[in-house]
Amino acid sequence: MNRESFLGAGYLFIMDKKTLIIGLGNPILTDDGVGVKVALELEKQINLEAHPELTITEASAGGLRLMESLLGYERVILIDAFYLNPESSTPGTIHHLSLDDLRSVSPTQHSTSAHDTSLVTALDAAEKMGYQIPGEFSIYAVEVENILEFSETPTPAVAKAIPIVVAQILEEFSFTIR
Amino acid sequence: MERITIDPITRLEGHGKIEIFLNEEGDVKNAYLQIPELRGFEQFSIGRPAEEMPRITNRICGVCPEAHHMAATKALDALFDIDPAPVVKKLRELFYSAFYVTDHTVHFYALGGPDFVLGPDSNPAERNILGVIHKVGVDIGIQVIECRKRNHEVIKMLGGRGVHPVAGLPGGWSKSLTKEERDTILDFSQKNIDFALFSLKIFDDIVLANQAYVDLIVSDAFTHKTYYMGTVDDKNQINFYDGLIRVVGPEGKELVKYPSKDYAQHIAERVEPWSYLKFPYLKDVGWNGFVDGVDSGVYCATPLSRLNAADGMATPKAQEHYERFYETLGSQKTAGLYAPVHHRLATHWARLVELLYAAERMQELANDPEILDPNVRPIVTNTPTEGVGSVEAPRGTLTHHYKTDENGILTDVNLIVGTTNNNAPIAMSIKKAAEGLIKGGVVSEGLLNTIEMAFRNYDPCMSCATHSLPGQMPLEVQIKDAEGNLIGTQSQYID
Repeated sequence: MNRESFLGAGYLFIMDKKTLIIGLGNPILTDDGVGVKVALELEKQINLEAHPELTITEASAGGLRLMESLLGYERVILIDAFYLNPESSTPGTIHHLSLDDLRSVSPTQHSTSAHDTSLVTALDAAEKMGYQIPGEFSIYAVEVENILEFSETPTPAVAKAIPIVVAQILEEFSFTIR
Repeated sequence: MERITIDPITRLEGHGKIEIFLNEEGDVKNAYLQIPELRGFEQFSIGRPAEEMPRITNRICGVCPEAHHMAATKALDALFDIDPAPVVKKLRELFYSAFYVTDHTVHFYALGGPDFVLGPDSNPAERNILGVIHKVGVDIGIQVIECRKRNHEVIKMLGGRGVHPVAGLPGGWSKSLTKEERDTILDFSQKNIDFALFSLKIFDDIVLANQAYVDLIVSDAFTHKTYYMGTVDDKNQINFYDGLIRVVGPEGKELVKYPSKDYAQHIAERVEPWSYLKFPYLKDVGWNGFVDGVDSGVYCATPLSRLNAADGMATPKAQEHYERFYETLGSQKTAGLYAPVHHRLATHWARLVELLYAAERMQELANDPEILDPNVRPIVTNTPTEGVGSVEAPRGTLTHHYKTDENGILTDVNLIVGTTNNNAPIAMSIKKAAEGLIKGGVVSEGLLNTIEMAFRNYDPCMSCATHSLPGQMPLEVQIKDAEGNLIGTQSQYID
C-alpha cells in the first residue's frame, strides 16, 4: 500500500446496521495491519450498492473500544493478525475462528490489549449489562512474522495471504462483487 | 538510533516478561521488565510531509491515538511558527479532555480498579471488568460504557473520526463547533462530572473505607521518593494540553520549569547493556542508577506525578479532591503547598482526581462563548525548520520533535512517549515488590499479583506486548540465580 492509500484509509461506509466487516491492526507496522489491508481490498471489490446491510471499517483497537464498535450489528466479520511463537509459526497461514475458538485458544493480536481488557471479556461484560451483542462472529486470523517494525509493506508470505482471505470472505458470505 | 551490544548471557528479550536476578544469598539483586520496542519509526517518517504526522503518529498505538495526534499537531504549530487562535486551542483542549475522561475511566474500572475492588489476592481470572461488575453491580458497568460512549461521540464530533482523529492542522483545527454540538457537549460534560464524582465515591467506599487497603497504599513496598514531572499553567496548576514542563524533587522543591522545546537540555536517555529500552533521566541531577532520592535523576510522569508537580487543580471540585488526597495521605503543608505523596498505589486515586478535572474543564470550555468562533483554519506562510510539541498523555509527558527542509519534508524525528519516562521507576517498583517476597531463594505466595500491582499503577502502554495470550496483559516472571541459571518461572494470563 502506498502512502496515499494509507492516508485515504479514513473511510467509514455505513448503509444499514446488520453486518460489519472490521479489519484490525496498525497499517504502518509491517504485518500488523493485515486485517486493515484485507478490509480495504474488500471495500474495493464488493458491490456495496448490492449490500445495503453491510458496513466495512478498520481500527487499531482492542478490548472495550473494539466491543463498543461492534454493538448494534448482528453479524461481525473480523480480520486480524495472529502472532504466534516464531518457532512454531508459519507466516501467512490463515485461521478461520469462531468466538468460542477465541475464548478457548489464543486470541488474535488486537483482541487483547495491555491498557484494556480482552475482546471476549468485554463482550461478556456487555452481555451481562444487557447489551445485545452480535450473534454471529466469523474471525479470520493471519499468522504474521514482523509486527515490531514500521513499514507499510507486509512481509511476502503475509502479502500473499491477503487476496486469499479476501476470496474466502467473498465466498463464505456470497458477496456480490463490482 | 544508537546500536548497543547485548551480552548474550544477560540479554533479555520477550513480551511483558520480567526477569529477576538473585544474588549469592538468594535475595533480589535486580529485576527487569522487558517490553518489545517498536523499531524504525524515524526512518518511516523521514521524507514525508510534516503535516502528515498527526495522522501517522496517531497510528503508532491503538491505546492513545488522541495524545499522539495532539502532540504532533502542536509540533506542527512550532514547526510552522504559528500561534493558534484562542478558539483553536480551546477546541483542541475540549477534544483532549473528552479523551482523558475515556482513558482514565477504562484504566480505573478495567485495570487498576479490579486490584482493589476484588482485592489483591483474588483469582487473576476474575480480576477484570467482569469481576468488578459482578462485585459492584451491573448499573456501574452500564455507567462505564455510557461514559465512554458519549465521550467517543465528542471525540468523533471534534476530531473527525472515532478512533484515529484527523482534525489537527498546523496552527488550526479542521472543523469548528456548531451551537447544537456545543449544547450536546455541555450536557455530556455535566454527566461526566457526575460520573467522576461517583467514581471517587466508589474509591472512598471500597478502598479508603478498608484499612487493609489504606495500609497497602502507604506501605513501604509501594513507595518511591523520586522527582516528578508534569505540565502546568501560569498558576502552576495542572494542564493536560499546554503549559510549561515542571519538575519537582522528592521534597516538593521545584527543580526546573521549561518550555517543551528545551526538553533536550533537561532530559537525557540512559542506555543499559541488558535492555533495548531507554531510561530517561534528569540531566540537571544526573544518572546515579535505579535508586530513589534527591541525588538520583530518576523521575516519574504519571497522574500522581502531575499532582505532585503542580500546586493545585484549575477547577473547583477537582481542587477539593486534590486537597483531600493530600490531607488523607498525611502530606505536610508548607506555605500553602502540599509535600509530594510518594505512594505509588495512590496513583489510582490521583487518576480519579484528574478524571474529575478533565470533566470540569470540558464544561468550562464548552461554556466559553469563544468556542463557537468559526475561524479555525489559518493560512500557514512561514517556512518550516524545526518544531517541538508536547502534551500530558495519560501515561506521562509526550514529546514530538520534528526537523524539516524548507519544503516541510521531514529530515529528523524524535519522540519521547509517555511510558518511556517511567521506564526506570517501573523497574524500581518491580524490584522492590520482588524484594519483599523473595528472601534467601524462597519465593512467597502472591509474587505475581504484587508485581502486577506494582507496575500497573503506571498504566504502562504495552499494547504490542500481548501477542497470542489470553486475558489482560500476560505476565511471566523468571527467577535466575547468581550464575544466571533459571531457577523458577511463574506466569499468569498465559495458558
